[in-house]
Amino acid sequence: MNVSIKDSFKKDAIYSVVSWIALLSLYFIFNDHGIQDIITKVAILGLFAMSLNILIGYLGLIAFGHATFFAAGAYTLGLFLQSDFIIEYNIGSWSIPIALSLSVLLPGILATIVGVICIRLREIYFSFLTLAFQMIFYSLILALVGITGGDQGLMGGFPKPPFLGINLGIHFHFYAFTTFIVILAVFLMRQIIESPFGYGLRMIRDNHERPAALGFNIRSHQLLAFIIAGSLAGLAGSLQALLDVGAYPEWAFWSKSAEPLFMILLGGMQTFLGPLLGALIFELLNDFVSANTRYYGLILGLVILIFVLGFKKGLLDWIVIRGRKN
Amino acid sequence: MKNKKSYRTLRRKLMKYGFAGTAYASIGFPTLLKAESNIKIGIPTLLSGRVAQLGISATNGIKLIIDKFNEAGGFNGRKIELIIRDSRAKPDEAARMTRNLINSNKVDIILNCEASSASFAVQEVIRESGTLCLHCISETSSLTADPSIRTWNAFRFARQGIHDAVGSASYAANLVKEKGLKKWMSIGPDYAYGRDSTATFFEILKKFSPNIEIVGQGWPKLFQPDYTEVITQIVREKPDAIYSCLWGGDLVSFVDQAALYGTFKNSELFAINLADYTTMSAIKNLPEGLHSATRYIAAYPDRQENRDFDSAYTSRFGDHPTNWSWETAVATDFLISAIQETKSLNPKKISESLKGKSRQSFIGVGEENTVTMRSRDQTLVNYAIGWGSTLPKEPYMKDVKAADWESIQELEKEWLTSKGWI
Amino acid sequence: MEVLALLDCLSAPACLLSQAVGGLKIGMLLFLVASGLTLIFGVLGIINFAHGILYMLGAYFAWQAMELTGHFGLSVLIGAIGVGIFGLAFERGLIKRVYESNLLIQILLCYAVILIVDDLVMIIWGDEFLSSIGVPEIFQVPPLFIFDAVIPPFHLAIIFTSLLIAILLWMLMTRSRFGSLVRAAAINPKMLEALGINTNFIRYSVFVLGSFLAGLGGALAASERSIVSQMGNSILIESFIITVIGGMGSIGGAFLASLIIGMARSFGAVAMPLFTDGLMFLIMVLVLILRPRGIMGEKK
Repeated sequence: MNVSIKDSFKKDAIYSVVSWIALLSLYFIFNDHGIQDIITKVAILGLFAMSLNILIGYLGLIAFGHATFFAAGAYTLGLFLQSDFIIEYNIGSWSIPIALSLSVLLPGILATIVGVICIRLREIYFSFLTLAFQMIFYSLILALVGITGGDQGLMGGFPKPPFLGINLGIHFHFYAFTTFIVILAVFLMRQIIESPFGYGLRMIRDNHERPAALGFNIRSHQLLAFIIAGSLAGLAGSLQALLDVGAYPEWAFWSKSAEPLFMILLGGMQTFLGPLLGALIFELLNDFVSANTRYYGLILGLVILIFVLGFKKGLLDWIVIRGRKN
Repeated sequence: MKNKKSYRTLRRKLMKYGFAGTAYASIGFPTLLKAESNIKIGIPTLLSGRVAQLGISATNGIKLIIDKFNEAGGFNGRKIELIIRDSRAKPDEAARMTRNLINSNKVDIILNCEASSASFAVQEVIRESGTLCLHCISETSSLTADPSIRTWNAFRFARQGIHDAVGSASYAANLVKEKGLKKWMSIGPDYAYGRDSTATFFEILKKFSPNIEIVGQGWPKLFQPDYTEVITQIVREKPDAIYSCLWGGDLVSFVDQAALYGTFKNSELFAINLADYTTMSAIKNLPEGLHSATRYIAAYPDRQENRDFDSAYTSRFGDHPTNWSWETAVATDFLISAIQETKSLNPKKISESLKGKSRQSFIGVGEENTVTMRSRDQTLVNYAIGWGSTLPKEPYMKDVKAADWESIQELEKEWLTSKGWI
Repeated sequence: MEVLALLDCLSAPACLLSQAVGGLKIGMLLFLVASGLTLIFGVLGIINFAHGILYMLGAYFAWQAMELTGHFGLSVLIGAIGVGIFGLAFERGLIKRVYESNLLIQILLCYAVILIVDDLVMIIWGDEFLSSIGVPEIFQVPPLFIFDAVIPPFHLAIIFTSLLIAILLWMLMTRSRFGSLVRAAAINPKMLEALGINTNFIRYSVFVLGSFLAGLGGALAASERSIVSQMGNSILIESFIITVIGGMGSIGGAFLASLIIGMARSFGAVAMPLFTDGLMFLIMVLVLILRPRGIMGEKK
């Protein structure tokens, strides 16, 4: 057992490095900002969707309020970089690394609080409660206008001081850095999912009562998974904030939580990278359709219907069907 | 078993990105070939929902000017091509679309027709990319007034909150004296424009009429369908006058619903955004004697050029122009003039050309009917601002009083100083 | 928080009454929509996430009927019936395929329908908002003054009509054969099948009834509110909150919860105008934590 974990660690590490180099070469093969932007966006959204899939695919917990943490990460980064803190304490080139770390930590803390309350409920009630918390968070963002800028989001942008030779104002640097962070996060997720902890999650998903009978602490597994998922969503949000040089309350609205659900549906929840594929499909669809018609919703809705009704049995065959009610 | 799976996963991932790239390249190539001949202008805007009229009338204004320009041969044979995108009023979508327009569609210039909140998002995108951007809709002062937000490559070709506040307050102050309007209430949409417009109006009004009293404030959400809570508040407080910066469908609903309570028999309404044709014609029983600023009215300024603009627009698009139509028309006119002057599309050159530029316009009230792009903060001045009272049918307004630009610029300076922006 | 303003209002009969009537009106319209939602969940076990669409279509259909007939009552009726028919098609065509699927699939299906119909109404009726159909002639009168409170008679009419429908609904569910079949189907559909009763019929008639109610809410709302794409989304969220608070499946609970939410909105606008929405969600969170089955829901 020990030998194969070390082996898979090495393999995953190699694949990660190779993937990153492949993405970097793609940058120069397609010497076009449009395509490079797509890859960046897919990386960020893919991270967001994969973090949700820890809960939906591996744990069987359907969280409706996941964008709470995405938005929390975005605002954390934006507010920190806008704050006088940086000037007062002369943080300078440490700004962005610190901002990113905070964008993992603070959403993680938020996820702990929300998770502790929500995990106690079952099924539909869990889902609704996460959604309710998200909408309270959204209302707070709008109400605290002085801090968050309210409905306008964070205005005026924020500085992106260079660090370790990386200048995020330069297009290529931003691309390389973002893809690096995402691949790193995916690598960590992989280790977690393929660890005994990860297999514990699968066990909870598949056999509700039995693990508890064997002395297995279901609640702590669920809570830890919730926290990890929330922290990674926060990271994705902070990258989005760096890309847009701002943070917007729309990212805390309930429709933002639907997006990773679509990606998981489109790409599949059985495989580790499924949501990433879903993010790619979603983003290409988004770009292509909005460039050609105003009725983006119509097309997206039809695509979802096709997947839900057409591939329904195939994609979700083996997810435990708990029936209509509890 | 794990080996095979991981290998397959990696291969799949590489294939995915390869597929993506090829797919996009094959979509992209044909447009690349066509690109050379046209000057491309990207227009992020909103074309759907409760305020679809904003995007529709704004883009119409642009088309009216551009089509004439293209027919006359364009710029040395190069025509102007418009690429219009609907962001559905979401700031993050607006940012995304602006970025796409610049990076994927390779537009030369952005004519930003987004509402206020999205305009700030667009501002950050163009600030980073250095693309020339003309904001044609946003009236929120801080976009150009706040030195930390404005940027060398962005110009505002729209009316500005503080200008309107001074124009409104001086008109209202006269009526305060005349009719003894002491108790005031405000009903404004709960977002940045609503808050700013309301705050600055009362700030300036208090300078003219220090004895007014604000007895209540209503802050309905933007696009809120039901104004009952707000209206019962009015009924409770019984103000002498109400200031409202609601607009579009919101204002229509509010006036209709408030009329049920007989609100306007007891309180004078100062609805700055009322006098737009589409708004007024949508109100079911438009009461007489409401006060509004002249957003766009063919009757003011009272000159032939203005009536010509109205008839040219109406005969082509079937509806009267709106406030947004004149703003985009003026912006487009200035842009074309700058391109012709500099014979270039270079943002720095066009920016230099636009700063301080004055042109005659159907909406201009400066010397010889000009409007001017003020150099200091890159925002429009000397455009027509008037206030009057409403009629239930054409010409929809009477007794229009023109605002005085000298006093506007004076009070504006005071206000900017108080904010620390000068 | 404007606590003083709230206390002032509560102690003044004029304010108390006008805010209360306003809250009743908001609550009753919400009840029409939410009752449909909770009914569908109670009997079919489906969270009809697309319920806001039914409300919106009620408004659009009523508007179209008004264009054709010019008669208020007829337009509202046509609007509601039209949505009932749409509900039938929706249930037979799409919903019945996901009865056995998990929550995620049902939600995604409904969300897809929201996206599609929101665009369809724009394609059919145009991108812009449509003006409200207007208050019927007999109600275009000056408001009543009761204890100094200003009360439009039309709002009283809406409250009265909604109450009437609530009573009819209650009688249908508790006193009629149809009602007892429906309640039985909610508890043990297999048993009913065994007794030779067509549960399919029960399923889609409940869905049609729920749709009719939502459409009625939309049609009545169209008298005062402008009609536009996505107008159902905020109503959907509020209906959900009501359903959760009242207890999923309980019409009586939905009634009580609608009153609570209506009043919270009305008085909340006085006390905390900027956080009224957040307040509603806070109430929902408290209910979910302290008593997940809601006020009148059944323990599972």
